[in-house]
Amino acid sequence: MTPPLLQRAALWRAASLGLWALVMLYSSVDGRLDLLLRAVFHPLVALAGLLLLLVALLQLRLAFGPGRQERGDRRQARTLLLTAAIALLVLLLPPAPSFADLAGQRPRDETAESELSFVLPPAQRSLTDWVRLLRSQPDPKLFAGDPVRISGFVLPMEGEPPQLARLLVRCCLADASPVGLPVHWPAGQAPFPADQWLAIDGVMGLRPAPGGGGERLEVVPSRIRPIPRPARPLEP
Amino acid sequence: MILTRLATAWALFQGLLIEALPFLLIGVLISAGARWFAPGGRWLRRLPSHPLLGPLTGAALGFALPACECGNVPVARRMLSGGAPLGAGLGFLFAAPVLNPIVIASTWAAFPDQPWLLLARPIGAVVVAVGLALLLGLVGEPQLLQADLLAERRLHQPLAAVGLLERSSGLVGAPPPSALSPEAAPVRPPLAELMKHASQEFLYLALLLVMGSVIAALVQSFVPRSWLLAVGGAPTLSILALMLLALVVSVCSSVDAFLALSFAAQVTPGALLAFLLLGPVIDLKLVSLLGLLFRPRGLVLTTAGAALMVLLIGQWVNLWRL
Repeated sequence: MTPPLLQRAALWRAASLGLWALVMLYSSVDGRLDLLLRAVFHPLVALAGLLLLLVALLQLRLAFGPGRQERGDRRQARTLLLTAAIALLVLLLPPAPSFADLAGQRPRDETAESELSFVLPPAQRSLTDWVRLLRSQPDPKLFAGDPVRISGFVLPMEGEPPQLARLLVRCCLADASPVGLPVHWPAGQAPFPADQWLAIDGVMGLRPAPGGGGERLEVVPSRIRPIPRPARPLEP
Repeated sequence: MILTRLATAWALFQGLLIEALPFLLIGVLISAGARWFAPGGRWLRRLPSHPLLGPLTGAALGFALPACECGNVPVARRMLSGGAPLGAGLGFLFAAPVLNPIVIASTWAAFPDQPWLLLARPIGAVVVAVGLALLLGLVGEPQLLQADLLAERRLHQPLAAVGLLERSSGLVGAPPPSALSPEAAPVRPPLAELMKHASQEFLYLALLLVMGSVIAALVQSFVPRSWLLAVGGAPTLSILALMLLALVVSVCSSVDAFLALSFAAQVTPGALLAFLLLGPVIDLKLVSLLGLLFRPRGLVLTTAGAALMVLLIGQWVNLWRL
């Protein structure tokens, strides 16, 4: 004997599909995708949400259509309930990743510099531009004294002071790899907690590298402001 | 600390899932479209069953149906359930995620200065797919394929193609001429039936994808990736490490080249190719999806066979390029 709730399988399918459509569409507008995926994929997610919504509406029509009392079996009901529950959970519990935790587990990004940012004046270079530029130009003296205006999160480092970092993402958060710049933190200032987002104005300065390996460029801040996490925290 | 890590794993899970769901939907819609446009799927049974030509034809179908590996599973299931020769179905399943215009273009975009990779990746994918199709072909369909898929497949195969011991009905002896073409006029399924089937398939696959993404996200959060890349320069170890990384990271084949770009400088060329070849065939996110097609024995053979072939290809590339 089938329990009465199972007697409208199409209705349950419509509800489950509708929830997944909601996950995709809601993610597209609540800024969640900016935290999870590279921007290129955002329209694809929205489109998939619309398609799912269309299929869900078709199922709804089927559920209330004439003479269509379709009975589902238990296995089908379990799948439907479980997928609906997961979709609800994803909707209700937005992602709150710790960038510092993620970055601490990942090897540094080693991509070579793209040519475009060479033309940017120093004060307009983002943290990522700076890291790539410094990697492609091994002589640090070229940039000493250049003005710096960057933002990023505080990434604790082993055996040296924390760096200011960003996450680079090519597809989704799963492939994020960090890039970071050493900062010469002002003496006497309480250390910022990991994951705190900061905007730093200052200049590039030559400082002795930790471990005694010659000199390296560090950001010497003239002004440090804690800021909220930007709307688009990931960089391509 | 553990809560922070779990919160990060939850975000990774959402990233993996939301990125893969559109591709899964595309795959399910292509499979439903095939049922609509070619009801009965006669063309599937006309694909060559030659042990070499079959997988090659299946692989070439990747150019016509551009989807990455998550989307390929429902399409491959549709091919096999429609009675396509096993080799052709498996060739499609394993090679099409690499042999499609989007993936080749993204590989080229990521590595414009390494033309050998642009050639080696598709060729390697075909070699692995043909090898896997030959290997899995040795097992026999009843031991390889899931029971419900097998039952659906038998409905679409001429009785003569099924071994005597596997038949559940029919006559013993020479088949009457009519038995060779059992379906006279395939009926196009009504749209409502088609949408019902597609919705069920999508929801079931989404559930499997959720399981795979949970495992992939947990492993990624709790196993530091630097462990895997620490052995970058050693020829054999680097290949093994990057194969493990491909299993764990579970990103789609259409974007894995960009991910590989971030560590290409640290690893041997063979390891780089191994990463790009193994990921599209098998990874943590895919295991549960492939469980829809294969029995556990098939899954183990696929993983072991693919890993061995990719390791050998990687070694050979390292001998050639290092």
